[in-house]
Amino acid sequence: MSFELREHTADVAVAADGASLDAAFAAVADGLAAAMCEAIPRDGGEHFEVTAAAENREALLYEYLAELIYQRDVRSVLPVDNQTTIRHDDGAQGEDAWQLNASARGVPLETIDAREVKAVTYSEMAIERTADGWRAYVVFDV
Amino acid sequence: MDTYDADGITLERVEEHVWEIPQEGEMNAPARVLASEALLDEISDDMTLEQLKNSTHLPGVEKYAICMPDGHQGYGFPVGGVAGIDAENGCISPGAVGFDINCGVRMMTTNLTYEDIEGHEEELVESLFANIPSGLGGGGVVESGVDTVEAILERGMDWALEEGYAVADDLAHCEDEGRRPDADPGVVSQKAKDRGKNQIGSLGSGNHFLEVQRVTDVFRADVADAYGLTEEQIVVLIHCGSRGLGHQVCTEYTREVEQAHPGLLDRLPDKELAAAPAGSQLAEEYYGAMCAAINYAWVNRQLIMHRTRQVFERVFDRSWEEMEMDLLYDVAHNIAKKEVHDVGGEDSEEERELYVHRKGATRAFPAGRQEVPSAYRDVGQPVIIPGSMGAGSYVLRGGEASLETTFGSTAHGAGRTMSRTQAKDEFWGEDVQDELQEQKVYVKAQSGATVAEEAPGVYKDVDEVVRVSDELGIGDTVARTFPVCNIKG
Repeated sequence: MSFELREHTADVAVAADGASLDAAFAAVADGLAAAMCEAIPRDGGEHFEVTAAAENREALLYEYLAELIYQRDVRSVLPVDNQTTIRHDDGAQGEDAWQLNASARGVPLETIDAREVKAVTYSEMAIERTADGWRAYVVFDV
Repeated sequence: MDTYDADGITLERVEEHVWEIPQEGEMNAPARVLASEALLDEISDDMTLEQLKNSTHLPGVEKYAICMPDGHQGYGFPVGGVAGIDAENGCISPGAVGFDINCGVRMMTTNLTYEDIEGHEEELVESLFANIPSGLGGGGVVESGVDTVEAILERGMDWALEEGYAVADDLAHCEDEGRRPDADPGVVSQKAKDRGKNQIGSLGSGNHFLEVQRVTDVFRADVADAYGLTEEQIVVLIHCGSRGLGHQVCTEYTREVEQAHPGLLDRLPDKELAAAPAGSQLAEEYYGAMCAAINYAWVNRQLIMHRTRQVFERVFDRSWEEMEMDLLYDVAHNIAKKEVHDVGGEDSEEERELYVHRKGATRAFPAGRQEVPSAYRDVGQPVIIPGSMGAGSYVLRGGEASLETTFGSTAHGAGRTMSRTQAKDEFWGEDVQDELQEQKVYVKAQSGATVAEEAPGVYKDVDEVVRVSDELGIGDTVARTFPVCNIKG
């Protein structure tokens, strides 16, 4: 599981790889944290859970990252050390077809120098299979 | 005919500074870029032109989609993009407005001169930084409950007036008098309100800032006089938006529109342009929520201005009224507004109500237009164009040609040319601060990385952006300012 911050004129993009879709999603979330803070403490902060559901893979990633940004603001923490579990019900249609349970460690914002990422976007979003697993690319509004 | 080839997209020169991408394929209209060749070289260096072309796929785009001289790649619709879309048969797109709804700029004038400020710069920048909430998790001037948020969403700057954070004159000099009557707090989600309640009166971070500036040049004396601007005068610029509340509104409505109107989405080349058909329930709800977020952003900037007045009172030991710290004007950058425009050709007049989407662009109405506050109706709407910390900013007025050329719009800033990642590779925050201080510009920020990301070298030449705007007659240059103190989130 790994991520890279990629160049973008106005915003910031995260390219992430994972052996599984779960790992790729979590790597994007870690990339989101890195886009906000260059020196993330290894310890500290409490773990919390988030959930998301959507009608397809891309929408699930959008909902998941949007939820992390929401939790950041209402809990005043930076979500790091992200873990995800994704379930897909092949027979299901609609907004619950894809479901995600995730956890994060919330580093209190008052303890770090962090900058704001405003939102996740659909622009250029890509989720694709690779020889080694999955790759995701997401542009964030900053 | 002159043409410009940009990596697979050919633009035809229509006239000086006007370039057109002809309509083809699924485009509903041509696209136009307003730029000198030097600016076009920068604009065509990323995905700006492709994003502009994509935006013409939105149903109901009238005349042409337009990229302002400071345009650059954003997400979905380019930053610096303007599209007038039929409000009856077209659509409204949250992504083409942007996440930071009513991100904008206000300028406050004073009767202080640069001489009055000299020697106080460090005290001023420290005090502003200590008293204006900024950064991530920095709180707000007001931290309150959801009831207060709802009152702000509903009443905008009327709320600030009632609570003692504004005077009537502030409202008279704000776009729409600081209140969008179409605001509907009932269609703003609980989550958005939760994000908004602890951020009322906060700068945020990124490219948002508060800057004390001096007026270095006056180019149109009569208009400057109407705006209350003179050379060597001190003014204050405040650049921020609707914070997490506005971001949440855009995030949620993008998803709702995507799910409710898949047929329309299928016709769009970029999912970020997801749009609700005009007249649909979602179009009405998004418009109500966006207008509520607009009200929040006006109050946000008003509270920061209120706190700035208090800081100046302490530093200069005089009341803000004595220092005549008055609002010149407040302009919005990320907005869609119902406006009536002439959509006929050269020889015909046909007025229609449009959703004018301005994403990273400024409304620039000329003299006489009824939406311009009465104080400025004879000279044109003030337009405030922040530049970089090393190049200064401009005050323009809405130009006579803006209605015909750009649905009454012009640029919103210098426009980035360099990514934040590259900026951090090329600049070191402390070096940038030191170099600026040699020019007597005092900068204080939450982190060195923010200063590096916003270094003067990452922006286009604001002089060139303003020159093009002036020559096109969409925004006439009135005055130029240069920073003295700058605080960043």
